Amino acid sequence: MISTGQTQTYRADDPVLDMDRLIAMANQIGDFFAPYSPARRAEGIRNHLRTYWEPRMREALLKYIDEEGGTRLHDHVISGARALTERGVDRKGYYGPPQA
Amino acid sequence: MANPVKPDHSVVTTCAYCGVGCSFKAETYQGRIVRMIPWKEGKANHGHSCVKGRFAYDYYNHPDRLRTPLIRKSITDPWQEVSWDEAIHYAASEFRRVQDKYGKKSIGAVSSSRCTNEEIFLVQKFVRAVMGNNNIDNCARICHSPTQFGMSATVGWGAASQHFDSILQADVIMVVGANPTEGHPVFGSLMKRRVRQGAKLIVIDPRRTETVDSAHCKASVHLALRPGTNVAVLNSISHVIVREKLYNEPFIRERCEWDEFESWMALIGSDRYAPEVIGPQAGIDPESIMQVARLYAGGPNSAIYYGLGVTEHSQGSTGVMCLGNLALACGMLGREGVGVNPLRGQGNVQGGSCLGSWPHVFSGYRFVTDSDVRSSFENDWGVSLDDEPGLRLPNMFDAALTGHFRGMYIMGEDPVQSDPNQHHVISAMKNMECVVLQDLFLNETSKYAHVILPGSSSLEKDGTFTSAERRVNRVRKVVEPLAGYQDWQIVVKLMNAMGYAAHYNDAGEILDEIARLSPAYKGMSFSLLERVGSAQWPCDENAPEGTEVLHRVKFPRANGRGTFMLTEYVPTLERTNDRYPLLLTTGRILSQYNVGTQTRRTANSRWHPEDVLDINAEDARARGIDDGDWLKISSRFGSTRLRAKLSTHVNPGIVYTTFHHAKSRANVLTSDLSDWATNCPEYKVTAVEVVKIAPETESETAGFQKTATLEETAA
Amino acid sequence: MWAELRDLRDEMDLGTPPRNGARVTVTVDGVPVEVPSGSSVMLAAAKAGKSVPKLCATDTLEPFGSCRVCLVEIEGRRGFPASCTTLVEEGMAVITQSDKLQSLRKGVLELYLSDFPEEDIEGGWSEFHKTLQQCGVSDHPYGKGENHQYAFIDESNPYFLFDPAKCIVCSRCVRACEEIQGTFALTISARGFESSVSAGQNQPFFESNCVSCGACVQTCPTQALVEKSLFEGGYYRG
Repeated sequence: MISTGQTQTYRADDPVLDMDRLIAMANQIGDFFAPYSPARRAEGIRNHLRTYWEPRMREALLKYIDEEGGTRLHDHVISGARALTERGVDRKGYYGPPQA
Repeated sequence: MANPVKPDHSVVTTCAYCGVGCSFKAETYQGRIVRMIPWKEGKANHGHSCVKGRFAYDYYNHPDRLRTPLIRKSITDPWQEVSWDEAIHYAASEFRRVQDKYGKKSIGAVSSSRCTNEEIFLVQKFVRAVMGNNNIDNCARICHSPTQFGMSATVGWGAASQHFDSILQADVIMVVGANPTEGHPVFGSLMKRRVRQGAKLIVIDPRRTETVDSAHCKASVHLALRPGTNVAVLNSISHVIVREKLYNEPFIRERCEWDEFESWMALIGSDRYAPEVIGPQAGIDPESIMQVARLYAGGPNSAIYYGLGVTEHSQGSTGVMCLGNLALACGMLGREGVGVNPLRGQGNVQGGSCLGSWPHVFSGYRFVTDSDVRSSFENDWGVSLDDEPGLRLPNMFDAALTGHFRGMYIMGEDPVQSDPNQHHVISAMKNMECVVLQDLFLNETSKYAHVILPGSSSLEKDGTFTSAERRVNRVRKVVEPLAGYQDWQIVVKLMNAMGYAAHYNDAGEILDEIARLSPAYKGMSFSLLERVGSAQWPCDENAPEGTEVLHRVKFPRANGRGTFMLTEYVPTLERTNDRYPLLLTTGRILSQYNVGTQTRRTANSRWHPEDVLDINAEDARARGIDDGDWLKISSRFGSTRLRAKLSTHVNPGIVYTTFHHAKSRANVLTSDLSDWATNCPEYKVTAVEVVKIAPETESETAGFQKTATLEETAA
Repeated sequence: MWAELRDLRDEMDLGTPPRNGARVTVTVDGVPVEVPSGSSVMLAAAKAGKSVPKLCATDTLEPFGSCRVCLVEIEGRRGFPASCTTLVEEGMAVITQSDKLQSLRKGVLELYLSDFPEEDIEGGWSEFHKTLQQCGVSDHPYGKGENHQYAFIDESNPYFLFDPAKCIVCSRCVRACEEIQGTFALTISARGFESSVSAGQNQPFFESNCVSCGACVQTCPTQALVEKSLFEGGYYRG
């Protein structure tokens, strides 16, 4: 069952989403957290990416930061994304699971 | 025949159209449905209804109804009719083949807001327990996902805080980005009743809708703001409340986080949000911003009702947070007559949200990353589950284009017509190898499908819907499913075919499973609903017959307090320029429902046979356009054709259309921009240009449209 | 009126909307019953199990008092007040059945029947037919006078039609469009014998600002407004 239309050369290690889109999405998240203090900013971005982004999306972003310096990302987005790789207790999201 | 036939049998069920969830008695005569009469004891509608639920039910036995399963190897092949077993087996083996070739996460599903809670729950179970990933999403992604996010952040739960009747206790009603008279008509009538009794109405909407001005019901203030400036205007309203100290300090100290309030005050109080600054930016009079602030804060009971005009923006979640902040600051939560109420559009989109039809949460809004929650599901379902969030619907299409996502199970949805940036969606669909569509009719998406499973309408199945006021209503079978199976039975077949032994004697057993696994639905069961008719969640040992008003004592957040989010205004990237100087915004009309799959196959099309473009007379004159002329509308993403309608309801610089007809292809125009938090598309702001074109013949129109749309049999 | 909406019941039409006030006790045909103050005598009678025959009243609409069928007698008062527009008072004693009341109701109903399609009097199941049965009226003594039996049937709306030949101008449709739907599309135009239900600016329903919610159809007691789907093979006047 081969689909017609474009013939896609698929490589498993290609980023799962187009990089322009990922970068735009990450910067948008950064824009929301901009008014917060630096510590809360980084934590907020880190938690948002951890809770809502598919792991391959996070990997692609981190790969972009490691390999290309993340030049098109805002600074605080870079520190928030880097916080994803911190070892330690998997903290619950900033918005946390609602408790009834 | 002078006297009408007398119905011999009736079943109380729930309308499948909008989120009001009107209760009807479906009356039959000799096995045929002859009438839908609103049920007086329906707690949402009290015996009232609108044209859709009341009369537009004929689609259920329209000639276009799919009755046999269809399969094909490639989308260029013709369809083959096959038996149910063959189709199910084919779909199951194809899904496994795709997973073997591209990885476990290369398939996913999207569930329907017109299917029952039981069905939605089964689809997310199918994805999680059988497909083995979290790639499950629902159409709330493209409408109210920001509500989920923004409301959870501020007050703890992303659902309406009140029941509909609560509006009869409101003194000030603020409607933001919604048009209840058209989108939630029965609720709109209730609102009008209250306004006739003396309540004040504030409307924040770029258009002069029927809600703003109709017989004996006029808005005291109408902020006709420029599309895209929601957050700026809402911040400005809050600015006045802070500046003039109109906030409810005792409430904030007792029920909210004071520190967060102070940070919020500092941000909102800054000069850039003063009405004198924001007014000109948004195209409204600063004085009216102040009026709104004073009216709302003055109450004594002020209620907010909002819709897609808030959520479908790149700052959709932020906009919802602004509303939450506003209500908390003025103490308008936790009793009758107040609240923050998203007007959920579809019959069961609230159900979809509650039951975990999301890539990042299980039922009850509990995160998949939370190992305690995950184990409770693993124990009940007997399999281990993926602990990482999955792909959202727009990201599924993105991933299809990079070749990582290849298979999809689509139940009762038409993404090709309803999702934005149509060319992008079509390219993504073409890249997939296994698209299984379960629906009542062939639609735009079926052109790219490989398996079609005929679904059942809400008149043909048993289950429950959760309406916009959190009310769980019973859906009861009136006639037998035309194609042989209720939708939930088809999902069970798929699960079994893919190796997971699932069995339910009836839909009530699925609701029992939901009750086990979802705290807010703990007390729900078919027998409870038989006894009390309907119940609003949360329904548990503290509230055995449901909860009408939320947040009376505590907010469902970790510390029981509401909080204030910092909502800085970030203008959208979608800007008008010389090439695209107008802003297009979209909406709904009373007689048609969403993409019109059902209503276009009824006589409702007589009211709205085509989508038209509302354009202001000034803009029309500048372009030599007259009423009824054919126009070409283009955006950065594509172009389409619509007829012009000169209108005083839109200001200069703004054009408006509806999205009910496939041939209008409104979503060719809409952008790829979306909400920062949820990827809810920014349908409400698209820069366009409009030019008059010569009237053309039908064949020219068909040729222009690269993908010919389906011809529907006339109703 | 909000919690009171919950008191509506499908199988029983109380006649006027439920209210929420201090309890008041009255007797209806000797049966004591307790109802909130602000309730109508008609509602009290319904609650006591002694429903008064009615046409223009229903519990989803404010009372109007036009049909003159729901007349009752109240001890200590003169005349025959309409029970829908009369409010209860503590200790009131209501009589719903008497020879005089019966003859008054019969007179009113016979007048309605004199301008109603002859062949549809038997075999119907509308509220009007039920009220006729409740009062034991099945024909009228009048000859053929001026009537509306040849009035134009409005079938413009795809789902329902309006046949003025069955209309008793009770205004329930007008009130439903105002109070329940809030569109104010209907009115009674002209006066006296000429009065008739009219949509928009005297337009066919489909051309007017009617939004086709069906509230008028649902509330019409004579099925002058009626769903087309209830007629197999089309509508023919009897």
